[in-house]
Amino acid sequence: MKISTNWLKDFVTVSPPLEGLADRLTMAGLEVKKIETRPDLKDTVFEVEVTTNRPDWLSHLGVAREIRAVENTGLKLPPFQNPEHRPMPSGWRIDLKEAEGCPYYSACLIEGVEWRETPDWMRNRLAASGLRPINLIVDITNYVLLEGGQPLHAFDADLIRGKEIQIRCAKPEENFLAIDGSRHVLSAEDLVIADKERTVALAGVMGGKESEVNERTRNLLLESAFFHPRWVRKTSLRHGLASESSYRFERRVDPESVDFGRERAIYLFRELTGARMVSATLKAGRKPTPAKSRIHLSLEQVKKILGMEIKPSQIHSTLTRLGLEPKNEGPEAWGVGIPSYRPDLERPIDLIEEVARIIGYDKIPETLPSRPPAEAEPHPLRQLEEKTQDFFAGAGLFETVTFSLVNPNSFDSSGIDLLGAERIHNPIHQELTLLRPSFLVSFLETQSRNERAGERTVTLFEVGNLYSKAHGNDSREEKSLGILLAGDREKGWSDSKRNLNFFDLKGLVESYLDLLGIEAYSFSPQEISFLEESAVLKVKNETLGILGKVSARAQTAWDLRHPSFLAELSLEKLLRHIPPVKKFREIPRFPAIERDLSIVVEDSVTMQEIVHHIERLGKGLIRRVELFDLFRGGRIPKGQKNLAFRVTYQSLEKTLLSEEIQRLHEAIASEIAGKFQAAFQKKV
Amino acid sequence: MDLGSLAKEAVSRLDSVHSPESLEAFRVDYLGRKGKLTRLFDSLKGLSGEERRSKGQELNELKRLLEEKVKAKAGSVTSSGSKKDSGFDPTLPGLRPPLGRLHPLTQTIREINGIFERLGFEVVEGPEIETEFSNFTALNIPQDHPSRDSFATFYLQSETGRESPLLLRSQTSTVQIRVMQKRKPPLRVVAPGRVYRPDQVDASHSFMFHQIEGLMVDDRTTFSELKGVLQFFLRELFGPGTRIRFRPHFFPFTEPSAEVDVNCFLCQQKGCSVCGGKGWLEVLGAGSVDPSVFEQVGYDLKRVQGFAFGLGVERITMLRHGIPDIRFFFENDLRFLRQF
Repeated sequence: MKISTNWLKDFVTVSPPLEGLADRLTMAGLEVKKIETRPDLKDTVFEVEVTTNRPDWLSHLGVAREIRAVENTGLKLPPFQNPEHRPMPSGWRIDLKEAEGCPYYSACLIEGVEWRETPDWMRNRLAASGLRPINLIVDITNYVLLEGGQPLHAFDADLIRGKEIQIRCAKPEENFLAIDGSRHVLSAEDLVIADKERTVALAGVMGGKESEVNERTRNLLLESAFFHPRWVRKTSLRHGLASESSYRFERRVDPESVDFGRERAIYLFRELTGARMVSATLKAGRKPTPAKSRIHLSLEQVKKILGMEIKPSQIHSTLTRLGLEPKNEGPEAWGVGIPSYRPDLERPIDLIEEVARIIGYDKIPETLPSRPPAEAEPHPLRQLEEKTQDFFAGAGLFETVTFSLVNPNSFDSSGIDLLGAERIHNPIHQELTLLRPSFLVSFLETQSRNERAGERTVTLFEVGNLYSKAHGNDSREEKSLGILLAGDREKGWSDSKRNLNFFDLKGLVESYLDLLGIEAYSFSPQEISFLEESAVLKVKNETLGILGKVSARAQTAWDLRHPSFLAELSLEKLLRHIPPVKKFREIPRFPAIERDLSIVVEDSVTMQEIVHHIERLGKGLIRRVELFDLFRGGRIPKGQKNLAFRVTYQSLEKTLLSEEIQRLHEAIASEIAGKFQAAFQKKV
Repeated sequence: MDLGSLAKEAVSRLDSVHSPESLEAFRVDYLGRKGKLTRLFDSLKGLSGEERRSKGQELNELKRLLEEKVKAKAGSVTSSGSKKDSGFDPTLPGLRPPLGRLHPLTQTIREINGIFERLGFEVVEGPEIETEFSNFTALNIPQDHPSRDSFATFYLQSETGRESPLLLRSQTSTVQIRVMQKRKPPLRVVAPGRVYRPDQVDASHSFMFHQIEGLMVDDRTTFSELKGVLQFFLRELFGPGTRIRFRPHFFPFTEPSAEVDVNCFLCQQKGCSVCGGKGWLEVLGAGSVDPSVFEQVGYDLKRVQGFAFGLGVERITMLRHGIPDIRFFFENDLRFLRQF
């Protein structure tokens, strides 16, 4: 809101420099965001930010009241006294049909208005406040609005049919042409001002074109009312129609200013337009009274909340400066009267804030709590999240933060079923409507962007939520880990290059699981709609995640240069399998013996089958079976592969004898050869 | 010279051989056709049978020893000898293990968490999909408040059977409510997380961003302590000389409420585009917890008081690192991520 400092001088003493005043207002909570000098208007304008709890600041008088409190100065009201005896307007009546939407309505007839130029002082003040002067009648209503905060509306009284004003709900499908030229079809939830035949204004929002004042207007019907904030807001939203008037009604106008604003306007009409006759006021309804007009406050309460020493006299004088009326109820307690323009003050805490901000927050000392910290709860999921981030960043991956909202169409090529996905009811873009069920599209988009920027290697991870509908009516968000590998395996100049592949991904996951102390995990092949060469990660028969190569279809859809490998793991599920404390295990004291075992098998035989079998035959002496070579082609027939294992034998109890192990190993080797029906080579 | 001293002399000379050239000279000197050993072999001719055989054996051993040593030395002088001959080039790039990064937002969140943990605060989390109760009602946001409108909050598509609509939280203050509903005071928590608002994306707005919420509640937490805790925090984060001011403001869920500014460290408070010429940067919203919030979570008003605060992680990260556009955080360009 723009505040003319010239205008303020009508009400309070404004002592230069203005920067000082602006700063003091800011530090009292009425932030002056900008000070603008307007040499053309011989004025300086404060642009103030009005918080939603203080609609009383949406006027010059309101800001002047704040200056009274901050500067401890007097306050003078503008003239608003009019002749006491005014005739009743003959034949006019007000019919208030909707008292919730309009608790209080008043109007009077102003006759014989002459069209004159708006005086310069008024034009300048309107311009300083950011309003364009229009004509004297409208300018006076706008002036009163900016001055005291009361929106008014002037109808051409001769265009009101049947000398009747109705405040009612609109008829369904009723048409309305607003002053700004926009047309609206009204609904029964809109509060309107109507004459005997038709709607003449959307209450508190905008007048109608058909009853608008014009050059031929000589007689006015001046409306001043209290419209309910919610009704005005709903109508304003419904029709996309906003005005200085609706802005204030929505935030609540001081009920007392209905009469004050009307009388102030009449004063100006009489002064400036030469109006011949002003009628008595027609009124309907009752002014709403604030919920609480007296609040009890004690010194103890103030000290306890603020944590500072403060004198009772200081509290009393601060409240008085604010225009409140503290009455002593003992030496350190007050009953504080609240004026109608401060409905935000309802409880002692509201007054404590008033005292604090006028005394100044900077006067409150800084102290650190001396109590011991409260007992904390364990947060294993958060710990896991941090450990996960550290592991993958340490392993050379980049942590991403991608949007949780994604375009559902980007899942088209993925084959992911979106039936169970949560969607946004009111998206800002039609694209971003889906709460992501997978990291897939976020990652592919990031890969694509980075490939276009010339990156040869894109290795990403993210810890974040994936979302779905849960059983019943609930919604589910699951803290998850996503990993994406694509492009060259980063190796220096001395090594040969190759693309990152499935086993780079799997290896990362394995090392991660080892770090967490999860044992007994397994990867089993499983078809996944958006992955090729895919597998699921299981621990104790629970599926914790998936991994694999992103399908060629998605690859093409995203125009990616390198194949992408994606893994998604549920951290919440993973957490259940992490041992709380790692237990010490004895370190073997006796030497290990290594023996190699090479075997040619059909491609359909998985390595794991062979390893399990070897371990089963090991009589508890096998510590480890590692694959160290896999070979296809050459002298190996098509459809077969040569696997070479290193078997490590070790006992916790004794030194193993070489001959003994040799016999065992040979027995295993021949058993394995027999079992998997493959050519068998013995290595020394 | 006897064989023993000759052997000693030869071995010590060999030690000072560092190039193929000097090694060759050494070889010629001892083992060459006119070398010292060859000459000694020649001198054997004048000896008697028994003496000739034993001396001959000794000589042969010495010869074999020297030949071995020369051979061994040959390997070492050629592989690591003079720079001229070897391919060693220390200016070749080192073979680095790949270096990943934590996202700058994660780094900021961790740093902030760490400061509060030192003050005895506990880091907690809450759900992103929330109810109207946690996001608005319990936070004293009236039924017809504009922030409940669909242009200010993302609502989820309604499902049959859901009693009240679900939404994406528009602030981490929801976690205050969750924690207080579950636990009794004393409490000291900070809650980082994602929040969502249907804002058009530009250099300083995004429909998704991060906040950290803080809450301290017991029977005596004062506004003075709020000032103390936040002063400690901001000086840890922005440096010990940081100037701080608390400006009265309005939030529905705190009272008294404040916005907290730090001095603009970019322009030394002379006024710049980042601080809008004001010399101050707004970094936090804070205040004493409004009694109506305590009421909503069923606390006994006579026994509790506390404070809450909230900050935007993106804003703080942008200010500290001089990042001009919020969109960088979510584009995840590796050229950006690598910088932090």
